[in-house]
Amino acid sequence: MIGTLEVLTPSIVLVVFSILTVPVIGLIKKRGGRCRTASLAWILSPFFAMGAGIFRLYSDYYSQAEKQPFVQVFLVDGGAVGLSSSFLVDAVSMYMAIVYLVFGFASCAYSFLKLKLEGELSERFLSLFYVILGSTTAATFSGDLLTLFIFWEASAAGSCFLIVYGKKPEAIEACLKYLVMIVIASGFIVYGLSVIYGLVGSLNFWTVRDSLASLNDKNLLMLAFALVACGYAIETAVVPFHMWLPDAYAAAPSSSSAFLSSIVDQASYYVFMRVLVHILTPPLVLDWTFALAVFSALTMSAGNLFALAQNNVKRMICYVCVADIGYNLAAITSVKPLGLLGNLYFFFVGGMTTALAFMVVGILNDLGFETIEDFSGIGRNYPTTSLALVVAALSFSGIPPLAGFMAKYMVFTAALEADMAWLSVVGVLNSVLQAAYLIRLVHYMYAKPASKIRGKERVDVLLPVYALVALIIILGAYPSLALNAAYPAAKQLELLLP
Amino acid sequence: MAALLLFALLLPSLSIPISYMAGRRSAGKAAMVVLSFAILDLIILSSTLSEVLSRGRYFESYYWVPVLGSPLTLFVDGISFSMAVMTLILIISSIVYSINYMGERGSLQTYYALLAMLTVGLVGVFISSNLMVFYFCWEFMLIPTYFIIGGWGYREPYRAAFKFFIFTHAGAVAVLLGIGAIYMLTGSLDMSIAKGLLAEAPQELLYWIFVAFTLGFAVKMAIVPVHVWLPDAHAEAPAPMSALLSGVIIEAGAYAIFRISLGIVLPSMASASMVSQLLHALSILGVISAFYGALTALAEDDIKRIVAYSSISHMGYALFGLSLFPCAEGEIGAVLHLINHAASKGLLFLNAGAIMRQTRIRDIREMGGLAPKMPLTAISTAVSSFSTAGVPAFACFMSEFMMFMGGFQLGSTDGFYYATTTSMIVVTVFSLAYVLRFYWRSFLGSSKAERIEEVPLLMEVPMAILSTIVVALGVWPGPLIELINSSLKV
Repeated sequence: MIGTLEVLTPSIVLVVFSILTVPVIGLIKKRGGRCRTASLAWILSPFFAMGAGIFRLYSDYYSQAEKQPFVQVFLVDGGAVGLSSSFLVDAVSMYMAIVYLVFGFASCAYSFLKLKLEGELSERFLSLFYVILGSTTAATFSGDLLTLFIFWEASAAGSCFLIVYGKKPEAIEACLKYLVMIVIASGFIVYGLSVIYGLVGSLNFWTVRDSLASLNDKNLLMLAFALVACGYAIETAVVPFHMWLPDAYAAAPSSSSAFLSSIVDQASYYVFMRVLVHILTPPLVLDWTFALAVFSALTMSAGNLFALAQNNVKRMICYVCVADIGYNLAAITSVKPLGLLGNLYFFFVGGMTTALAFMVVGILNDLGFETIEDFSGIGRNYPTTSLALVVAALSFSGIPPLAGFMAKYMVFTAALEADMAWLSVVGVLNSVLQAAYLIRLVHYMYAKPASKIRGKERVDVLLPVYALVALIIILGAYPSLALNAAYPAAKQLELLLP
Repeated sequence: MAALLLFALLLPSLSIPISYMAGRRSAGKAAMVVLSFAILDLIILSSTLSEVLSRGRYFESYYWVPVLGSPLTLFVDGISFSMAVMTLILIISSIVYSINYMGERGSLQTYYALLAMLTVGLVGVFISSNLMVFYFCWEFMLIPTYFIIGGWGYREPYRAAFKFFIFTHAGAVAVLLGIGAIYMLTGSLDMSIAKGLLAEAPQELLYWIFVAFTLGFAVKMAIVPVHVWLPDAHAEAPAPMSALLSGVIIEAGAYAIFRISLGIVLPSMASASMVSQLLHALSILGVISAFYGALTALAEDDIKRIVAYSSISHMGYALFGLSLFPCAEGEIGAVLHLINHAASKGLLFLNAGAIMRQTRIRDIREMGGLAPKMPLTAISTAVSSFSTAGVPAFACFMSEFMMFMGGFQLGSTDGFYYATTTSMIVVTVFSLAYVLRFYWRSFLGSSKAERIEEVPLLMEVPMAILSTIVVALGVWPGPLIELINSSLKV
C-alpha cells in the first residue's frame, strides 16, 4: 500500500535539503580547507536521497501495477474524498519523476561546476533549485486539479528567482514579463477550475473525468476548458502566448536556462498532457483535438521561423524550445498510446537536448561569444565544446544516430495515426527549416575564419555536458532504453480510451 | 546461424573510435585501421554469398525497438549483396587513394573516422530490410558527408556541404512521412510484411506515399529538378569523397526507389492507370535528367563539374530503367547500371582527382598532353570515360543496352516507351561527345604544363583495381546478371 508520505518523500527530501543548504554551505565555507569536495558532496546528496525515494516508490508501484494501474492516495481518508487533496501514482508520473531526477542531477552538477562556489552565492541558487525541483515532482504526482495547481504554481513562481538570479537588467525585465504572464495564467486556471468544481462538485481527476463524460450540456464545460487550456498554454508558452519564454530563458543565467528548459518546461508539457489527455479525454469528454492541432502547427512554425531570424545563439536555442512545444502538442493531439509514448520520449530527449544546448552556449557565453558571428571558427579553437553543440544541433534536427530522430519520428507518426496528415507534413517541413538554421550555426562554427581566442577551454564543466552527449548517442542507437520505461504508460492510456 | 550481417553493420562503427585514437600520432595508422576494418567487412559480407546463391536471400533479425515493432532486420539478396559489395570495394579504394591524396592535410584522424562512419550508413542502407533501420542508415550518411565535404573540400566547401545537407535532409523527411504512413497503415515496418498488408490500404493514400518516397529518393539521386545540390557537392568534395558520392550515395537513392517505391508501394496499387501514370512520370523525369546532365557536361570546362553533371545524366538513365517496371530486362538493366555506374563513376572521380592533384588545374582548357606524362592515369581514365559513354566492352554498355531492350519490349504494349527509349538513345550520343571532349582536352593534344609526374603508387593501385573491374563487368557481365535476376524471381 502506497501512502502519502511515500509519494511525497522525493519532494520532502528536496525541500529539507533546500532549507539546510544555505547554513550548511555557509559552515563549510567558513571552515575552509577542502571546501569544494565537501560542498559537492552536500550538493549532490539530495539527488541520491531523491533517487532512493523514487526507487522505493517505483518498486512498490510496479509490484501491484497489474492490479491497480492508477494508484490514488488521499490526504484525508473517509467520506470527503471529493474534496481531499490527493496524489496519483501511475506509469506516467513515475516516468516523469525519473526524468526530473536525471536532468536535475545533470543541471545541478553543471551549475556547481560553472558557477564555482567561491565568489558567487551559489548556495542560494542551489537552494532554489531544490525547492523548485521538489514542487515540480509533487505537481507530477498530484491527483486532483487543485493540488496540481498549487504545486505547479509554486514551481512556476520559484522559476522567477532562477531567471533573475544573474541580476542583469534585462533579466529583471524578462522576469517581470514572466511573472505577469503566469499571474494572468493562474487567474485563468483558477476561474476555469471553479467552473469545473461548480459542474462536478469535486476536483479529483477521476471524479471530474467520470462526471464530465456523462454531462449533457457542455456549454459551461467549453468555457471552463477555454480558461484552463489558455492558462496552461500561457505557462507552456504555446504561440501566441510564447513571448515570455525567449526573453526569460535568454536573459537567465545559462545554468538556470538549462534547468528550466529541461525540468520546468518538460513539466509544463506534462501538465498540459495530463489535463487534456487523461482528464478531458476526447471524444468522451470534449473534442479539442483539432483546435490543439492548429496551435501545434502554429507553435512549431512560429518557433522555427523566429529561430531562423535570431542572431543571438542563446535566443535561437530559446526559439528551438518554442518549436519543441509545437512538436509535443502534435503528439498530444493524437490521444493514442503511440502519441503518448512519443510524448514521453520527447520529454526526455527534448529536455536533454535543450539542457545540453544551453549548457554549451552558457560556457561559450562566459568566454564572450554571444552572436552567431562570434561563433565563427570556434570549432577550431574550442573543438571539444563545439562538438557538444554540434551534437545538440543535429539531435534537434532529428538526424540519426542521435536521440532526436526517434523522438520526431514518433511524433510525426502519431499525428498520422490521428488522421492529421497535414500536421505531420507541417511538422516535417518545420524539421527541414530547423535543420537549415541549425546547420547554418554549425556552418559558422566550422567554415568561417576564426575570431580570436578568448580564454581556454574548461574541462571540468564539460563533464556533465559530455554525460548528456553520451546519453543522446546511446539513446539514439538504442531507444528502447527509454521507450521500455515509457511503454507501461502507453499501455495504461489504452484503459482510458473508449 | 552466425550473426554475419550484424557484424557487417557494426564492424565499421567499431572502427570509428579506434581509427580516431590511432590517428592521433600519424594519419597513416588511422587509414590502416579503417582500411583493415573495411576489408574485414568485405570478407564477412562475401561469406553470405553461398547462402544467397543457394536460397536467394540471407536473413537475420535482432531485438531493437520492440515497442514500435522495429526489430533490427538485416537481409541480403542478390541485388543488395552486389550493391553492398560494390560499395565496400569503392570505400576500400577511396581509403587507399586517400593516403597519398590527402597527404599532409590537417586532422586526418577525424577524416578517417568520418569515413568509417560513412561506411556504417552506406552498408546499412543496402542490407536493412526494416524501414526504420533503413532510414536510420540513410540519414546516418549525412553527418560524415557534411563534415568531409566541408572540412577537406575545395573553394567554398561548407557552402556546398550546406546545400547537400539541406536538400538531402528535406528529401529524407519526405521519406520519413512515407515510412510513418506505412507504419500507420500496416502496423509493421518490415519491408516484406508491409508489402503484403499494404494492398488493403486506401488507394488515394498509396499514391501519396509513392510520391513522398520517390520525391525523397529522387533528391538523393539528384534527378532534375531536385539536382541542384549535386554539382557543387560533388565538384567541391575531395576526390575520394566525390567517388563515394557519385559511386554510392546517389546510387542508394536509385536502389531505394527500386526497393521501396517500386518494391513495396507500387505492387499494392490496384488501378492500372494510376500505376502507368506514375511510371510514365518517372520515365519522363529520367529522360529530362539524362538530357540535362549530358548537355550541361558538354558545356562545362571544370573537370570535376563535367563528371558531376555526367552523374546526373546517368541517374537519369537509371530512373528511366526503373520506370520500365515490371519488365525484367529493364529492371535488371537498371540495377546493373547502378553497379556499373558505381564502378565507372567512382573511378572517373579518382582519375579527375589524380589529374587535379598532379597539375593543380581544374579547367580542361588549360590542360592537354597529359597522356605521355601520366600513362596509367590516362589508361584508367580511358576505361572509365568509355564506360561512362556506353562504349561496348566497358561496363555501362551492357546495362544501357538491356534498358533499351526493355524499353522497346515494353513499347510494344505501351507506345509511350518507344518515345522515351528513343530519346535515351539520343542521349548516348551526347554522352560520347562530352566524354571525348573531356578526354581529348586533358590527355591528348599538345602539352601545356611542364614537369608533371605520374601519381604515387598508392593512388595507382585503386585506379588499376577499379579499371579491371570496369572492364571485367563489361566483358563478362553474365554472373552478375544471373545474381540480380535470381533475386528478382524471389
